[in-house]
Amino acid sequence: MQKHNQKEHLYKLLVIGDLGVGKTSIIKRYVHQNFSPHYRATIGVDFALKVLNWDAETVVRLQLWDIAGQERFGNMTRVYYREAMGAFIVFDVTRPATFEAVTKWKEDLDSKLILPNGKPVPAVLLANKCDQGIDVLMNNGIKMDQFCKENGFVGWFETSAKENININEASRCLVKHIIASESDPVQSVEPDIVKPHLNSSKIFSCSACFKS
Amino acid sequence: PAALPPAPLGFTDVNLNSRNTYEVSRRRSAPEHLPHGGTAPAEPAPPPQEPAERARHRVGIAGAGSSFAEFFTRNFFTKRTKELKPAVQSAPGWKLFGKVPPRENLPKDSKIIQQEYEARTGRMYKPPPPSARRKNIEFEPLSTTALILEDRPANLPAKSVEEALRHRQEYDEMVAEAKKREIKEAHKRKKIMRERFKQEENIASAMVIWVNEILPNWEGMRATRRVRELWWQGLPPSVRGKVWSLAVGNELNITPELYEIFLSRAKERWKSFSETSSENDIEDAGASVADREASLELIKLDISRTFPSLYIFQKGGPYHDLLHSVLGAYTCYRPDVGYVQGMSFIAAVLILNLEEADAFIAFANLLNKPCQLAFFRVDHSMMLKYFAAFEVFFEENLPKLFLHFKSYSLTPDIYLIDWIFTLYSKSLPLDLACRVWDVFCRDGEEFLFRTGLGILRLYEDILLQMDFIHIAQFLTKLPEDITSEKLFSCIAAIQMQNSNKKWAQVFASLMKDNKEGDKNHSPAPKS
Repeated sequence: MQKHNQKEHLYKLLVIGDLGVGKTSIIKRYVHQNFSPHYRATIGVDFALKVLNWDAETVVRLQLWDIAGQERFGNMTRVYYREAMGAFIVFDVTRPATFEAVTKWKEDLDSKLILPNGKPVPAVLLANKCDQGIDVLMNNGIKMDQFCKENGFVGWFETSAKENININEASRCLVKHIIASESDPVQSVEPDIVKPHLNSSKIFSCSACFKS
Repeated sequence: PAALPPAPLGFTDVNLNSRNTYEVSRRRSAPEHLPHGGTAPAEPAPPPQEPAERARHRVGIAGAGSSFAEFFTRNFFTKRTKELKPAVQSAPGWKLFGKVPPRENLPKDSKIIQQEYEARTGRMYKPPPPSARRKNIEFEPLSTTALILEDRPANLPAKSVEEALRHRQEYDEMVAEAKKREIKEAHKRKKIMRERFKQEENIASAMVIWVNEILPNWEGMRATRRVRELWWQGLPPSVRGKVWSLAVGNELNITPELYEIFLSRAKERWKSFSETSSENDIEDAGASVADREASLELIKLDISRTFPSLYIFQKGGPYHDLLHSVLGAYTCYRPDVGYVQGMSFIAAVLILNLEEADAFIAFANLLNKPCQLAFFRVDHSMMLKYFAAFEVFFEENLPKLFLHFKSYSLTPDIYLIDWIFTLYSKSLPLDLACRVWDVFCRDGEEFLFRTGLGILRLYEDILLQMDFIHIAQFLTKLPEDITSEKLFSCIAAIQMQNSNKKWAQVFASLMKDNKEGDKNHSPAPKS
């Protein structure tokens, strides 16, 4: 299947966030296209692999590291961050405390992981369980944009693993930024800069990314 | 939920046993219906009165995959044999391929088909002629009866002699092959049944020994060779909880009354937490109330994610409150440890095997063991010591796989954390996890790491073919069809000796290295 001139990228992505926000469910939805309300708690780390036919020339293999959410595991799980290229930070829109923890997760990530070019790894914020209709935070998109800018997220999405909302889009957004940051390490990678050749119609689905 | 047994003790075991017993009795009952003396095809043929539906069902069980063939023979046979006879008889020269003259052999085939048909439908049954008698054949292959060699229809040109010959030969080979396979499968099934039956007998007799001999003389007998060997075979479910309790011990001297005290404290806390979640009662100066409350909140989130497939710990399930109580009481008993993910699985397994207070006592004492304390306190440097000791024995026992893992920088923290935190109750099927717990109670922490090596050994060949992500995925989600026989034979083959040093010594020397290392490094400005 694979063409000779095809490039293959392998990216390690972290999926982090508080306990029970739906990290495993998002991954299961993304990789296996299914959902169950009965996932077992993740202890340590779980793994998944997703292969994307990014474009005619590029295959992207995503190694997803699904990291246990309990704060206590902090010291133990930081070794899992090593060499990651991007991250999803997930919170549960029905539990405000998990949103409050987002900055903590982001700081933790940035303190332990820096790209070879000295920049923080691209991170996308996922406001999960948006199907539950409890919009404590979401009805203010401008505030969320502001929050992401202040905290260095490259984008944010309201997601639902249950209803399969925005998960593919969020992933494309993150991968796009990873490719952008990787393809030109010299360039200062501002969150709103998107390489022109990547700006294909497919990628426009990433509506929540910042484009100035 | 309707299938839940009334007693909390040994829920899954009851389930498993009853299923096994059911199958055993069903299968064992089959031969009784057989006509004696080998007068009929030996496949368990139902008595004539038996409804056809049930008959088909039984045959379907005894000879997997044969019911389809049976369907065809049953429905089309009578017509077919008539057509078949001239067709096969007209094949010239095929006696070259057998000593038996064709004419005698051929009708026999069709007769047998007919007998089977009649026996199965219960109609027209009469003792077959002596020539068709089969002695000492326990399984009559069924599916071959659906395979019938035929001539071409009359409106097409007839087969040439060579072609007919070749078809006859191919047909014979196919039939012979199918028969061979079915007999082999039947033997395999019989063997499995025999083993299962033997296993159940063993469990029953072991239970008598445990109840009558060992438990009354626990301290005197627990370390004897005989008891240790019996222990390795797996504890009978009915004494499992008791033996676990005794083996784990109660160093902490927890009484059921003490459990009640901590439980009521936990309940108070939940109440005040849900009533005034914003207001801080400054009762424990210094200790962070918020942390503990968060801990209680985590318990709620995790309980429904504990053995979700059993549907008994989820909200509204019979063991939901029980699990909540044990874990809540523990966070009040040991606020220094609190609730840590993984605990819910351990408490759940104990609850399945012990009464509430006993489960709590075993839980608190189990978590007080050095290895468990290191992990649940997330003492990272201690955990690394355990991983290092594990790797010593990994390299010793499975050098090839060890190098393979090394080449991918695949460290034990990738897979061991889940295994050790939950004592395999999340990663192995529950009945198998209980067997690991049995020997863990006998041998201590060493056995947890030995089990890990046993798993790696069991899947060594597969793992050697895999790359990093596939190994990581495989080990964090083990195959569900893993059997206790295979796993325990692999565990048994793991030597917990490294150049005459046992686990405890290897671990102790790693600890010593660490202290010396600390001394050397302590003057450095950067720790």
